[in-house]
Amino acid sequence: MRERLTNLYGKDGTRTVLASILSIIIGLAVGSIIVLIVGAVSSNISGGSTWDGIRLVLFGILSTGRDASGALSFGFNPTSIGNMLFRATPLIMTGLSVAVAYKTGLFNIGAPGQYLMGTMASLMLALGIPSEVVPPAIIWIIAFVGGMAAGALWGAIPGLVKAYLNINEVLASIMTNWIAANIVTWAFEVSDFKNLVESTKSGYIYKTTFNDVATSKMGLDSIFPGSQVNGGIIVAIVIAILMYVLMTKTTLGYQLKACGSNRHAARYAGIKDKRNIVLSMAIAGALSAGGAALYYLSGNTEFAWQTYQALPDTGFNGIPVALLAACNPIGVIFTGVFMSMLDVAGTQLTALTPFNEYITDVVIATIVYLSAFSLVIKMLISGGKKRKKAKAAPAAEVKAEAPPEDADAEKGGEAK
Amino acid sequence: MAQQPDYIIEMLHITKEFPGIIANDDITLQLKRGEIHALLGENGAGKSTLMSVLFGLYQPEQGIIKKNGEEVKIKDPNDATALHIGMVHQHFKLVDVFTVLDNIILGAETTKFGFLQKKEARRRVEELSERYGLKVDLDAKVEDITVGMQQRVEILKMLYRDNEILIFDEPTAVLTPQEIDELMATMREFAKEGKSILFISHKLNEIMEVSDRVTVLRKGKYIGTVNTCDTNPQELSNMMVGRPVQLVVEKGPSKPGDVVLEVEGLSVPSHLHKRDAVKNVSFNVRRGEIVCIAGIDGNGQTELIHGLTGLDKVSGGSIKLCGRDITRASIRRRGENMSHIPEDRHKHGLILDFTLEQNMVLQRFREAPFQHGGFINDAEVRKYAERLIDEYDVRSGQGPVTVVRSMSGGNQQKAIIARELDRDKPLVVAVQPTRGLDVGAIEYIHKQLVAERDAGQAVLLVSLELDEVMSLSDRILVMYEGEIVGELDPKTTTAQELGLYMAGATRQGKEATA
Repeated sequence: MRERLTNLYGKDGTRTVLASILSIIIGLAVGSIIVLIVGAVSSNISGGSTWDGIRLVLFGILSTGRDASGALSFGFNPTSIGNMLFRATPLIMTGLSVAVAYKTGLFNIGAPGQYLMGTMASLMLALGIPSEVVPPAIIWIIAFVGGMAAGALWGAIPGLVKAYLNINEVLASIMTNWIAANIVTWAFEVSDFKNLVESTKSGYIYKTTFNDVATSKMGLDSIFPGSQVNGGIIVAIVIAILMYVLMTKTTLGYQLKACGSNRHAARYAGIKDKRNIVLSMAIAGALSAGGAALYYLSGNTEFAWQTYQALPDTGFNGIPVALLAACNPIGVIFTGVFMSMLDVAGTQLTALTPFNEYITDVVIATIVYLSAFSLVIKMLISGGKKRKKAKAAPAAEVKAEAPPEDADAEKGGEAK
Repeated sequence: MAQQPDYIIEMLHITKEFPGIIANDDITLQLKRGEIHALLGENGAGKSTLMSVLFGLYQPEQGIIKKNGEEVKIKDPNDATALHIGMVHQHFKLVDVFTVLDNIILGAETTKFGFLQKKEARRRVEELSERYGLKVDLDAKVEDITVGMQQRVEILKMLYRDNEILIFDEPTAVLTPQEIDELMATMREFAKEGKSILFISHKLNEIMEVSDRVTVLRKGKYIGTVNTCDTNPQELSNMMVGRPVQLVVEKGPSKPGDVVLEVEGLSVPSHLHKRDAVKNVSFNVRRGEIVCIAGIDGNGQTELIHGLTGLDKVSGGSIKLCGRDITRASIRRRGENMSHIPEDRHKHGLILDFTLEQNMVLQRFREAPFQHGGFINDAEVRKYAERLIDEYDVRSGQGPVTVVRSMSGGNQQKAIIARELDRDKPLVVAVQPTRGLDVGAIEYIHKQLVAERDAGQAVLLVSLELDEVMSLSDRILVMYEGEIVGELDPKTTTAQELGLYMAGATRQGKEATA
């Protein structure tokens, strides 16, 4: 048993997970300290509120509001958890987008643009195809696939520029992000999809509930009543698993990774390096756009079309989601959920204490910052392990090392 | 003044471990002032590791290092530099996109008010380069110059830092015969000036020629230290390998068969300039023969091979392989009848961050049984990798799952050789296949290439080493400035004659017209 544990500890993957968890813990600790400082310096926040704030930063997802005596109560809160899963859906997708590109040696900072193009294509398809003629379920599939296709095309542009003109994909992506933001604004500006019926808000596109193309709940609403959750999260998890399989088990994944690690060697082996760079960016684009489609087809979200001034956060947040997961597609599921958990904690914080949700943004930022350090943290963990080993009795070492040494000598002898 | 100790550097009882392997096991090495001390051992014997310990790149688990009799701690290369220890690594540590001058002064820049004083630096470097005859183009980017020149840059880096202990990690592996002679002369010059040299090599004739003493390592263990004048190559190679080694290639006469590769008027553009590096070259290679392209580095051999294998586009002429015109075929299509042991194993040959087993199927992952319906069959890949590792004696820390980057250069090369020869293609293109390898490995690779020939494969070999060219080939084509200037028969040619062709002093075409 003990040996098994040591083996597990020795594995590279384990150390990666530990490093990520450590980043999260430090991030949460720093967040708590910030809450403490803010509470201490502002006159209108009492000590009790500060303590509440810290508890909400850490356990906001389990908050069930305040009880009769006014104290915070905690427990299973299906609405919060449902909302967390709902908001995690696009984050998982953009996280996958960044992760898959990163595994193939590309840094996809173009997720926001791809996300916008996906939003545009899927909403236009969902709202534009008459639901009296085509069954809503079919429209939904067309809209989802169409959104991903738009993202793929948009993602392919930096890929093409990189492959054939050797222009850095980061630069090209930043450009395409803003081009997308303006195209989307213009396209909706001249469209018929502007919501003119509900006069309470302006600048929004119709929800997909308007013509019944909303994502199926797949029964999740009965598990998490009162929340926005729907089948999108299941689709996202399935796609994450598919991506994991693609990257680790298929020849296509092998080729993509080979190009990412050493383009020259890939070419030497007859792999079409240019095609693979474009393909990998297209896959990344499709994933980001798929996230947008799942989010806006849900039926309970509205899209504000004037995007030319700001890029969607969800796109950029894909980067920390991916890094925190060490770009492992399965890991992305968990880090995506974790990020949206912080988001939900933020709303609880705003609702229940004098603090506002920006504190959770600070916590998220800290974790993001630390996720970049997770490699360093991983090295520290490995270093500690080595030192421990060095301290072990030298006699044991010799014993352990002796057999392979002999085996080696024997092999060398007989091969000649 | 205190009495000068005998040894300038002493490494006492050094032990260094890596996961799964003891790279250095209680090794002692003592370097006298002003001597050239050779460190001899097979690939993976722990020579590079020992030197990396001295240079501060690795921390030993046990053992101490003394300079001038006093114990010193070398925690990183900065400490080593402060102790005037300099090192030319086997794989050069240069910034590819910097100029030669920038690389030399990097980390030791002369500044005035925080501004670089390149003029002063340039003057010093030029002076050093003049004094030791180390010709370099100071304004060329490192990525554009030959490996030979890159090495001179590395040597100048050490001199620029006033180092008195110079470590050369397999310096001759990448050099032409002439360059090797120059390097030897330079090293003797250094020693005469009182600099002490540690010279890692496994080329016995060089060690015999230049060194004063030799320390032999084998599989991480200390075997012994001998005076060069008291020993001979055979004894050294036996110490190194642990068994008697054959130093000459044994092969029967060749029985050339059908033409496999036909090259007609081929021209290939240069990497460096706009002109063609290969000009109107024609030759053929038949089944059952080893044709060697000899020449000094940088005379178009690299471009010729790139043109043949498809890594570069050709600018003229035609290539026929097994009767099919492949002049414009994709690399993959060419690969159907050709295996290629590339010149640059790190750039083209391997994906260093992949595991050994993933690298073993780099050319074959599309074939059954390694894939089925687009899915990689891990079990088959593992089985195949294990077979190759066993058959070709590729040594590594963790077997098939070892990350290739962590393997020694020789074993990386063996992995490539295993992968390429096992593909069993009619044409084997091998570019400097034994570069940087020890006698045991060279003997093995030479045997393998001869075996390929005897099995009816056509072998096209590119080599910079005269010995290899003379002993291994059945036919020699000499390249000089992008042209084939002579076709020679090794049985009737002397090394001197070959050298004249390589240097461009003689050529067959001209002789004929004259």
